[in-house]
Amino acid sequence: MHLPDPFIASRAVRKTTILLLTSVVFFMLFASAAYTQKRFSKTYPAGDGVRLDLLNRTGTVTVEGWNRPEINITASLEAPAAMIQPQDLSGHIVVNVVKDNAGRGDVGNVNFYIRVPYYAMVDIETRIGNLKVTSIRSALVRAHVSAEGDIELTNVMSTGVSAENVSGDIFFDGEIQPGGYYRFTSMQGTINLRIPFPSNFKLMATAPSTRSINLGYFSGGNMRAVGDGRRIVGQAGDGSADIRITNQRGTIAFIRR
Amino acid sequence: MDSDLDEVAAAAVRQHLAVCEPCAKVCEELAAIIDLCKSQAPNELVPPNPDALWCRINNIIESEIKPEPALPPPPEPRRRLWRFTLPQLASAVLCVALVSSLLTVIGIRNYLRPESDDVSSGAGESQSLLEKLMSKVGLADTPQKARERRLAQQQAAIEYWDRRVRERKAQWNAVMQEKFDKNLNIINESVNDYQRILQKNPDDEITGEMLDSAMDEKMQLLREFAEL
Repeated sequence: MHLPDPFIASRAVRKTTILLLTSVVFFMLFASAAYTQKRFSKTYPAGDGVRLDLLNRTGTVTVEGWNRPEINITASLEAPAAMIQPQDLSGHIVVNVVKDNAGRGDVGNVNFYIRVPYYAMVDIETRIGNLKVTSIRSALVRAHVSAEGDIELTNVMSTGVSAENVSGDIFFDGEIQPGGYYRFTSMQGTINLRIPFPSNFKLMATAPSTRSINLGYFSGGNMRAVGDGRRIVGQAGDGSADIRITNQRGTIAFIRR
Repeated sequence: MDSDLDEVAAAAVRQHLAVCEPCAKVCEELAAIIDLCKSQAPNELVPPNPDALWCRINNIIESEIKPEPALPPPPEPRRRLWRFTLPQLASAVLCVALVSSLLTVIGIRNYLRPESDDVSSGAGESQSLLEKLMSKVGLADTPQKARERRLAQQQAAIEYWDRRVRERKAQWNAVMQEKFDKNLNIINESVNDYQRILQKNPDDEITGEMLDSAMDEKMQLLREFAEL
């Protein structure tokens, strides 16, 4: 079929226009992405008694233990980008996003990915967002979500562990150390502990609303229910560690590791 | 001079006096005084009777001092109504120490109760027999009173932080406002549930404890968001 010349010309113009528009849209999107996403990265040397204290406003925090004597902090900052000014106080790394952005009402999420020596003490906190800690065997792992967010502590062998949120799930996977203390507190969500059987600990688990406390392999023996099943107290093994779990409107379960 | 020295010493002194003019002068003066004393009548050298002299002096002093009004005779010491032997006294001290220690322990335990739960405790077991006894006789707070007092303190703190949050909240983004409200509601629902249960059963220890914990959570949530 032979088309008239004006028609061919108009089709070419249309093609060019579409191409131009596509490229404009692409560059605009790219530029906007570049504007909204900022990155932060810094590495600090770490000695024996190294400790990480992080207080975030909103966003996910992931902390991973590694076999290097240094702390590597990477963060992606959503717009409006937050200020981050970590402090190295002789091996004690402090990141306080709340303080660094005090007085700024609207600050975008900050998503942290931090690698620390596996022997580092880790104390992380966020107002809203998920917290993940992996492969740590130090004296302290503390994860605190002020409002909403899941807490996941995996392969944690620490002697002091504390996880606390208002709503969201808490999952602990690790070993209960002799003489250690373990606190898990939530208002609403599920609290699951995956620990080896046998383990040695004293337990006080309270789930007053649901009365759903599943001790799994640890049930029976020296465990007893009190308060119409709202609380279980007792001892497993020699009871050298101390576990306290409170889930006000959720469930508690023990899983064999 | 008094012939007190032996021959050798006296000869040495004489020799010295022969060559030393100042000493010879002193010696002459002393000799003159001694001679004078020897030549006086013995009556003038006898001292007066010391007793009589003291008596006279005493009379003069008394006559010069204005006599003070006579003081009433001192009252006879009151007879003590009670007397303790040493073992009785020791027992009393021991009792006082024991009671004050117990009161202190109970006071501290009441104050720290929310943080110091005994793992082995269950419902209705957190108050010891002694504490129950003390609260019965009014020496310690009943659990209900202690709870009410603590609730009032928590409520005051909550109101303060709530005001702070309201000042800041308008500046938060929509997501943060929504999440905050949602989580505050979760806590409030729990608080209301526990208060309802406690109205029906004020002795429910676990519910009391959970209410305390929920109030702490609420206070903490407000405080932490007031910083933003």
